[in-house]
Amino acid sequence: MKEAKAEKKRYKMGKMGRKNTLVAYSFLAPNFLGFAIFTLVPVIFAIALSLFEWNGGDIAKLKFVGLDNYATIFATKKVAEKGIGYFFNRADLGIALKNTVYYTVITVPLTIVCALALAVLLNKIRGAVVFRTIFFFPYVSSMVAICVCWSFMLMKDGPINQIIMALGIDFNKSWTADSSMAIWSIILVSVWRNMGYYMVLYLAALQGIPKELMEAATVDGAGKWQQFRNVTLPQLKPTTFFVSVMMVISCFKIYDVVAIMTDGGPGRATKMLVTYIYDEAFVKVRYGQASAISMVLLVIVLLVTIIQFGSEKKFSND
Amino acid sequence: MKKLLSVLLAAIMMVSLLAVPALAEDQVLTVVTWDATTTPYLTAQKEAFEASHPGVKIEYIDVASQDYGIKATTMLEGKDKSDVYMIKEIDDLIKWQAQGFTAPLADYIAADNYDLSGFVGTEVNYAVDGVQYAIPFRSDFWVLFYNKDLFDAAGVEYPTNDMTWDQYAELAKKLTNKENNIYGTHYHTWLSAVANWAVCDGVNTLADKEYSDLLYFYKLYQDLEDSGACMSYADVKAAGLHYSAAFANGNVAMLPMGYWYVSTLIGYNKDGTCNFNWGITAVPHADGVKAGSSFGNLTGAMINTNSEQKDLAWEYISWLGGAEGAKATASVGARPAWVSEDVAGAMASVEGFPTDEGSKEALIPSFVAMEWPVAEKVADIKTIVNEEHTMIMAREITPEEGIEEMNERVAELFE
Repeated sequence: MKEAKAEKKRYKMGKMGRKNTLVAYSFLAPNFLGFAIFTLVPVIFAIALSLFEWNGGDIAKLKFVGLDNYATIFATKKVAEKGIGYFFNRADLGIALKNTVYYTVITVPLTIVCALALAVLLNKIRGAVVFRTIFFFPYVSSMVAICVCWSFMLMKDGPINQIIMALGIDFNKSWTADSSMAIWSIILVSVWRNMGYYMVLYLAALQGIPKELMEAATVDGAGKWQQFRNVTLPQLKPTTFFVSVMMVISCFKIYDVVAIMTDGGPGRATKMLVTYIYDEAFVKVRYGQASAISMVLLVIVLLVTIIQFGSEKKFSND
Repeated sequence: MKKLLSVLLAAIMMVSLLAVPALAEDQVLTVVTWDATTTPYLTAQKEAFEASHPGVKIEYIDVASQDYGIKATTMLEGKDKSDVYMIKEIDDLIKWQAQGFTAPLADYIAADNYDLSGFVGTEVNYAVDGVQYAIPFRSDFWVLFYNKDLFDAAGVEYPTNDMTWDQYAELAKKLTNKENNIYGTHYHTWLSAVANWAVCDGVNTLADKEYSDLLYFYKLYQDLEDSGACMSYADVKAAGLHYSAAFANGNVAMLPMGYWYVSTLIGYNKDGTCNFNWGITAVPHADGVKAGSSFGNLTGAMINTNSEQKDLAWEYISWLGGAEGAKATASVGARPAWVSEDVAGAMASVEGFPTDEGSKEALIPSFVAMEWPVAEKVADIKTIVNEEHTMIMAREITPEEGIEEMNERVAELFE
């Protein structure tokens, strides 16, 4: 008898629970539907497409080619013949990969350092609101406008070079038209644009550090630097973790700055993974190969993120 | 008050409903093209066609010119139903034909007994396996623009139609005046403005896998850049300086550029953007190449396979390419693909076209090669040659090294 009662109770709870679940699902449905139509289906389609040859025309002309697309982009034949150096120095994918990794490795730490420095500086000074707005402004400005302005500033006789020359350094070349400097102009613009956004994240985190900790540190005789090093930085770990994950992902997807400022040039000096995908898909209408490159990008971003989450413990507060 | 308002609103709705069938009486032909608002010949063609075809309206769908190939491809892939697509690059048509987006024209041509002779053979560039897929309506070749006022001021004679490249370089240096910020010549950043001249001999093409023929032109350019006779590539590139502004500024004596720039300049003279006198001559020629040789490009129109009014679309594109359309195109200074005495006369008589004999003579080139031929893997070759071009121009590598890279990388494509 008792058992039956308990059973009934559980059933009742279950009914409620189910109702709750239904409500929850109905709230989630519109969002999930959007995700499914605009993200999930295209991703699955792209995975499949990477095994086919297709020029975007009649879908009946889809031709299964297995892993041929991957063999082409990795230039397997040539690599087998001439060694791995060929892949990184001559194959489009190798060069794009090299450039993207280089860009990411420099941009992520540089942006974090700049954003953190700004946040710490602007945390308590007078007129902080004004400066915060100024530094956040690039983030809400049009990317095209930003890139066009920077292109002018980075010209051979532009203001940036004038400043460098005034410092007595002989530097007289156009940043975007020089193959060793072009990638740095991309890095510069990216860091300048994004640091304001990440600064806001850090500012929020700084506000959240308990005052007691700082007071305790002061009582213990810690100087400003020691406070920063031993209290502030550890307290900011979760934010730093979040920022670095987001940044690495967005850096691997870099496209707009490159498309506007250098168009991948000069030569292939700023060819990135996404500009390469765009070129294959929309200029040369080889959707199969473009999808294969997208898969390479997907795997890389996935791996990097897994590694980062694996080291999450190091970043947690306790 | 409220009642009155609702009655009024209802009345407006009724009227607007009535207006729809009234508009629908006109047949509307949608034409996908680029820069429709700033290209004078498109307006002239639309007006002339609508005047001779009452009841038909042309509606342009405007795409920014630098994105045209990609945007149009995306539209076609999205099963867009626009009736006519204009063709900016020959390889776009070849690509679209392979994708099945272009309606074959053979039946229409046969049924109408349509005369192709006025295209003097250029129309074969729009044929795949002997089947015509588009009709050309504009054929631009490259000429040399020059600023007569700057030549007069320097007391130098105008360039002539039989000048060689060496003579041209000499002239450019002579006209350069660094104190007054005057450049002897100007090069736009494109490969076509700098080294495409190698194809004018009718033997070399940019898809022939051998690029040593470009060397002479890169050296010529670098010599001019070193001597300050033209702006440096790095600056032109970084500033995004458009050739039209560079020449219209009035401090550039010569500019090798496509014929399409004539209508822009005539427009500039009219609206006061620039007010100097200018003329055109044939582009200079290399030793052993006939004077008056040039290269060019075709602009045409095709019928979308998804169009629901293909007959009307044919009516339009056949008119556009033929003698009548050619007159409309020529009336604003653009060069039609259809060649005839009438058309040449119409071109020279456009208000604002230079009146000197030399400029008139330059209207009839002795030979026109295609800027890019129709060839296997031409899109890949284009990418490679352009990438190496930017490296040479930015002085990252020497012209010799760049050409070796072109040869090697293009050869790898075919392994």
